[in-house]
Amino acid sequence: MRKITYRDALREALREEMLRDSSVFLLGEDIGRYWGGAFKVTDGLAQEFGDERVRDTPISESAIIGTAVGAAITGMRPVAEIMFGDLTALAMDQIANQAAKIRYMFGGQTKCPLVIRTPFGAGVNIASHHSQSLEAWFMHVPGLYVAVPSTPYDAKGLLKTAIRGSNPVFFCEHKLLYPIEGEVPEEEYTIPFGKAEVKREGADVTVVATMYMVHKALSAAKQLEKEGLSVEIVDPRTLTPLDRRAIVASVRKTGRIVVVSEDCKTAGVSAEIAAVVAEEALDYLDAPVKRVAEPDTPIPFSPPLEQHVIPDEKAIIKAIKEVV
Amino acid sequence: MKEGTVGKWYKKEGEAVEKGEPLVEVISEKATYDVEAPSSGVLRKILVREGVDVPVNKVLAIITGPDEAFTEAEVRVETPETAAETEERIVASPAAKRLAREHDVDLSLVKGTGPEGRIVEDDVRKFIDDASGAIPKVKETILLSGFRKVSAERVAASFRTAPHSTIAMEVNASKTAELHQSTQVSYSAILVKAVAEALTEHPRINSTLDGDRIKLFEDVNVGVAVATENGLVVPVIRNADKKPLEEIDSAIRELTEKARQEKLAKEEVSGGTFTVTNLGMHEVDFFTPIINPPEAGILGVGRIVEKPVAVEGKIEIVPMMMLTLSYDHRVVDGAPAADFLRRVKEIVEKASEI
Amino acid sequence: MTLDLPKESLVKMYRKMLEIRFFEEKVFGLYGQNLVPGTIHLYAGEEAVAVGVCSALSKDDYITSTHRGHGHCIAKGADLKRTMAEILGKKTGYCKGKGGSMHIADFSIGMLGATAVVGAGLPIAVGAGLSARLRKTGQVVACFFGEGASNQGTFHESINMASAWKLPVIFVCENNLYAMGTRQSRIMNIENIADRAVSYGIPGVSVDGNDVLAVYEAACVAVERARRVEGPTLIECKTYRQKGHSRVDPAKYRPREEVEGWLQRDPIKRLRHKLIQTVISTEAELQEIEKEVSSEIEDAVKFAVESTFPAPEEALEDVYAQI
Repeated sequence: MRKITYRDALREALREEMLRDSSVFLLGEDIGRYWGGAFKVTDGLAQEFGDERVRDTPISESAIIGTAVGAAITGMRPVAEIMFGDLTALAMDQIANQAAKIRYMFGGQTKCPLVIRTPFGAGVNIASHHSQSLEAWFMHVPGLYVAVPSTPYDAKGLLKTAIRGSNPVFFCEHKLLYPIEGEVPEEEYTIPFGKAEVKREGADVTVVATMYMVHKALSAAKQLEKEGLSVEIVDPRTLTPLDRRAIVASVRKTGRIVVVSEDCKTAGVSAEIAAVVAEEALDYLDAPVKRVAEPDTPIPFSPPLEQHVIPDEKAIIKAIKEVV
Repeated sequence: MKEGTVGKWYKKEGEAVEKGEPLVEVISEKATYDVEAPSSGVLRKILVREGVDVPVNKVLAIITGPDEAFTEAEVRVETPETAAETEERIVASPAAKRLAREHDVDLSLVKGTGPEGRIVEDDVRKFIDDASGAIPKVKETILLSGFRKVSAERVAASFRTAPHSTIAMEVNASKTAELHQSTQVSYSAILVKAVAEALTEHPRINSTLDGDRIKLFEDVNVGVAVATENGLVVPVIRNADKKPLEEIDSAIRELTEKARQEKLAKEEVSGGTFTVTNLGMHEVDFFTPIINPPEAGILGVGRIVEKPVAVEGKIEIVPMMMLTLSYDHRVVDGAPAADFLRRVKEIVEKASEI
Repeated sequence: MTLDLPKESLVKMYRKMLEIRFFEEKVFGLYGQNLVPGTIHLYAGEEAVAVGVCSALSKDDYITSTHRGHGHCIAKGADLKRTMAEILGKKTGYCKGKGGSMHIADFSIGMLGATAVVGAGLPIAVGAGLSARLRKTGQVVACFFGEGASNQGTFHESINMASAWKLPVIFVCENNLYAMGTRQSRIMNIENIADRAVSYGIPGVSVDGNDVLAVYEAACVAVERARRVEGPTLIECKTYRQKGHSRVDPAKYRPREEVEGWLQRDPIKRLRHKLIQTVISTEAELQEIEKEVSSEIEDAVKFAVESTFPAPEEALEDVYAQI
């Protein structure tokens, strides 16, 4: 099968959906013909679809999302890009209070088919305002779906599902994933929300990981294989809805779980997954749930500082060894 | 007596005591008795609390004169050991606890090999395996579901609610065997026909108990038990008493085939009034079938086997077959049940009536 | 005041304003009887703004509304019964009891809903305008908000964006002088919110918000401009809420003379006076209308009061749309 990058996979999804449905349009800062998006995801799309459908906006995050909400409830399918995930804080009212609640508050009168794409993640030395992983904020808002693709295949399939759906989707990308290559078929496909994928089968311990951490967990698993440990890696792919069943099934099999997530540990993604296991799989646990996550600090700038706070293979291996 | 257990103290610290009055209860292996105050004064300090075992000659309390100086510094009070001190906490994983619960395993007997000596699921499993004999080893667990579950519930309900009684008769099957040979009609069909005939004459067996009344059926619908991969099904031959043998035979063949393909319609497995179950082909001589509820009886058919039989004073080799009738004793008593079975026997032995 | 409108239109405006006034008085009364859960923000006194603007719109044009939104709903043509039922938290309400007084919407008449976060409706209105542009429908959007909201970042972001893209949005600022209890002069160094339009390169007009015809005229100009794809307009309507901020607010921070002055300029009284003076309507005609509206409101109350509450478990519905 052909291999393409995560970035190209996202662009393919956008392009295919724009060709398929004229109500799909893109808006965001510098996503148009002159820049193609800060991470080049929308590169070339303005040339193909015109400036009206690939719309450069002022630096107004709140208005970007609010405009997308207004368009979504009046028949369009906007895909808004927020240049960095950290900047969603500027648009939080529109995301959490408007997009997420507009259907509910009005008793189901309307739908809000809106996709908000944004990159999260540390590792490129751009410090506290451009490096966070804030997925958990959005898991805490009923009415939103939260997608967290880790591979080019998942990125394309999930983005297409997001665009075609009838609900607001917070679509998390990861800066370090954009150049990663992976198999993506030429043929049309979509990936349903709420369906985890076992990225690697194993018998001794379950590792639930998301986004870039899936790759670190895979590399840790490879190293541990040499020591005779068989690690199963479950990638939820969407955090809302969360495939609780897949996580519980894996824990029932292995009896041990390590949750790896790049966001801060307290009240984070890993906390929710750990709680699911405690509620639904306690009787199958042979060891305490372990979490590998960022310590509760902002992301620092200097490379040694930054590397210190990002979960790495070593931390994952250590946690696994503590539970087996 | 080498040691005793301190029981109830009759006096509190600070209370005045008279020489000779009961001060404390002591329980030994053989008896419970009171220790009297050895002198008068004030009970200053109880040194051994209730529930503590002490050797003979141990000082239990200090009594002083009313104004005598007393310092507590040097005295050590014996108190009963708490549960926490005596019992070591068993550290076991939730999974290990679950397995132990499921198999009645005492976790204090299991050695932990997990992190920090925790007992993990595998430890319990090994313990169970080692205790071979005591607990059978489970190879595979099959979830009771769908058809199997329904069938299990029905059988259990039948056995629980209908008091079963079973009677048996051995029959001469030579005519039946001849009929089978000459027409290729199955034994089951012959038995169904025989049973149907007999039921028309013994309606009490062709009935059901519904609350506080017995309903006698006019229709004679005979079910035939068929074993399939998923379990037992009982397709029904309706009005078997009015159908010729050939028709019954082809109906049984058709329904059996449908049963094996799981294609039986609901009406083809309902409405039975009596059941025939044949284990002859499995080389069973006789067995006690369980009534197919809500029917009142079931006929079990054993294999035909040649036996030496005394016929008019001579030993002859005759093909014989055992028929067993299980019936709901709430509905039918032994004698009428026997009459019915004897009638079935007659028909089978003549075969020509069929 | 230009009265070259057909009598029918003028009387319709009068009737709409009355509907809002009587409706709000009823809500006020029902609140006192403990029939309205939560709180209420009444529109009484500001009727000319909603009615003036909505009279300039077609049925398929959009509006966005605020926490003080009953008037916007009614002016856009919402059903009085379902509006009242929603305020009472009933299943027959517009939002099946999930929204309440601060969140009423009727998408079938282009009423895109009331948001209770001050200033949050502006970007949504811009989005509806963008949508109309992309779908080439010629629809326009009227966005209601107060002078308090003009201090939110979304005011700036939204008007700038709509202006840059020449979107068909009319920003209608209902300047009732008080952001909750804070008088405009204490928190803003300008008197006219309309002045802010300059910085976005769009027209900004201040009108007497208690004169329905003045509002209507300004709105018509803005609507035409929007339909000609020339971009948005900021209309500031100077008006006054006759009640406190919310039901619990006696509004003691407002000088008595100020309140009385504004009551003199009551928008409904003024239109009524005009209609009589110019011999457009007779006293009897207007009394007949007043009677009719009054009975309509009674019907709405009866409907709302007699409606059932939603089943508790309906709280779990409508969070997500089925894909």
